[in-house]
Amino acid sequence: MNIVVAMKQIPDLQQIRIRNRQPVFEDVPLTLGPIDKNALEAAVAIKEQLEAQVTVLSAGDENVEDTVKEALAAGADQCYLVLDDALKNAESSVTAEVLAAALKQMEDKPDLILFGEGSGDNYSGQVGSRVAAILDLPQVGYASAIEVGEGKAVVTRSLENCEEVVEVTLPAVVTVIAGINEPRIPSVSQILKAGRKPKEIVEPDELNLDLENAKTDTLSNLAPETQRKRVVVKSVDELIQALTSEALIGR
Amino acid sequence: MDFNLSKEQELIQRAAREFAEKYIEPIGHQIDVENSIPPEIISGLGELDMFGIPFAEEYGGAGSGYSSYVLAMEQFGSASSGVAMILSAHTLGLGAISVFGTEEQKKKYMPKCCKGEHIASFAFTEPGTGSDPKQIATTATKEGDFYILNGTKRFISNAGFPGPLVLMAKETESGRVTAFIVEKFCEGYSISEPWEKIGMHGGPLLDIYLENVKIPAENLLGQSGFGYPILQLGISYGKVGVSSTALGGLLASYKEAVKYAKEKTHRDEPIGKFATIKVAIADLAEKYEASKWLVYRLGYLADTLKDPMQFAKEAALAKDFVCEEMINASRICMNVHGSYGLMKDYKAERIYRDSIMGSQVEGVSDMQKMIVAGVILGMK
Repeated sequence: MNIVVAMKQIPDLQQIRIRNRQPVFEDVPLTLGPIDKNALEAAVAIKEQLEAQVTVLSAGDENVEDTVKEALAAGADQCYLVLDDALKNAESSVTAEVLAAALKQMEDKPDLILFGEGSGDNYSGQVGSRVAAILDLPQVGYASAIEVGEGKAVVTRSLENCEEVVEVTLPAVVTVIAGINEPRIPSVSQILKAGRKPKEIVEPDELNLDLENAKTDTLSNLAPETQRKRVVVKSVDELIQALTSEALIGR
Repeated sequence: MDFNLSKEQELIQRAAREFAEKYIEPIGHQIDVENSIPPEIISGLGELDMFGIPFAEEYGGAGSGYSSYVLAMEQFGSASSGVAMILSAHTLGLGAISVFGTEEQKKKYMPKCCKGEHIASFAFTEPGTGSDPKQIATTATKEGDFYILNGTKRFISNAGFPGPLVLMAKETESGRVTAFIVEKFCEGYSISEPWEKIGMHGGPLLDIYLENVKIPAENLLGQSGFGYPILQLGISYGKVGVSSTALGGLLASYKEAVKYAKEKTHRDEPIGKFATIKVAIADLAEKYEASKWLVYRLGYLADTLKDPMQFAKEAALAKDFVCEEMINASRICMNVHGSYGLMKDYKAERIYRDSIMGSQVEGVSDMQKMIVAGVILGMK
């Protein structure tokens, strides 16, 4: 069984500085999206139960080659990278086209393609669905559990007020939520072996892609302004009432 | 000159930080109060290969050198200096086997130690001596293919965990000090209760009693009479662990002070707005950065420096500076906290008690200065 996990390189969110409400990305170390790591952990957990090969798929600038070691240390067997400077801040539709083209190109056809529900930086939550649409594959979103069987997968979807269990025919795209698992911490030996795992690197040209056609342009990216409500309460009852009216308790 | 960590080093540092923040930090106070570390922390560290970072892969280590070891130790030392102390003393003992052991000794003792299934110790100190090998009273008497060991060793880290113990004893026949590998809990081996010490709780110091402990002659480490060079080099490597543990304490002081300066308010303003607090934070940042690069450099030198005397000087220099700066930093951190810093509810109190330990163990600070100056001046 071939499992592909799509992972995005993002700046380490804990180390981003905010200046004039703008995030400063300069000199910030790079990492992989946190929910993408949940997707990888789900894949590795499946691999440990069944005979499976886990491939990490990522598109971005040349730094991805180094950043992806994190995923290789955490249990992926190999990686397939599409590298080009133009992919550094590519918007969702471009990324989806690139990833879909890469998936078509892969020698070992994927049975299960996992994504994080949204990326760690902009959380647009579009790429998984777009890839499924381009490849005409079924997609299941908000996965909180995945059980893989013969030619199918049973996926639990964690929705706002309920859990839905669906069965999907493979190959399929599944996007997972952060609560699906807790990604393991890689051991020192796994980290040191990561760089020696197989990797395939291609350029967009090799996938017959033209990266000029971005469909959206980010005009501004501001941290939200939050203002405290400064509600004064005089008793515990009033506090409970205030919290209830804000739907923070008692739901 | 390149000050960047490699991706692998960055990931090792991150793995250690993640484990420390997720599993050690939340029970840091509990470890301090109970003076013991839950076994799942030890096994967790073992699973991540943290007991074997600097040692060769062929003996079960990760093969990542002391330059990676210091990065991990800093993170563990920041969360709990007791946890770091166990790793530090273990690496000192295992380091001696790694450098001076025969192929058979390395294959026998290192793999389990690198996995954390066994924890190594190093025993020189006795009730009558701390640094002077001539005063050693523990004896090793050759009887055929065996040695019979008798004596008492004091303040020995990890003496209560199973694993190999590198022990210095005086050969009764020649009077020379020789190193031996003793398997802890063998017949005739017994231990005291852990000493109740001021800080670094969870990192146990015990006395060891050897009563006619019989070990095979092949457990001699290095050569007969080679105890002192093993002690000197072993302790130099041990100082890498002590220094990086102290660096962790500096990091903890710095982080706790910054957090408190932002959270604590006075007249509706965070105290970080006050000039005296700003000065304190800047002092902490300076002390931390200076110590960090000294310790990272020491890790690099432990991997690369060939001359044991030069390495002894570098290790003593770093250990003295960083351990003293940890004391200063913990005091500044406490000042930022004011009276709250005296309370056990705040980590500043624990860091302050832990801080004094580094300057006292593996040679007090003045002893380090003697080593540094002795090498520089060429005078003992």
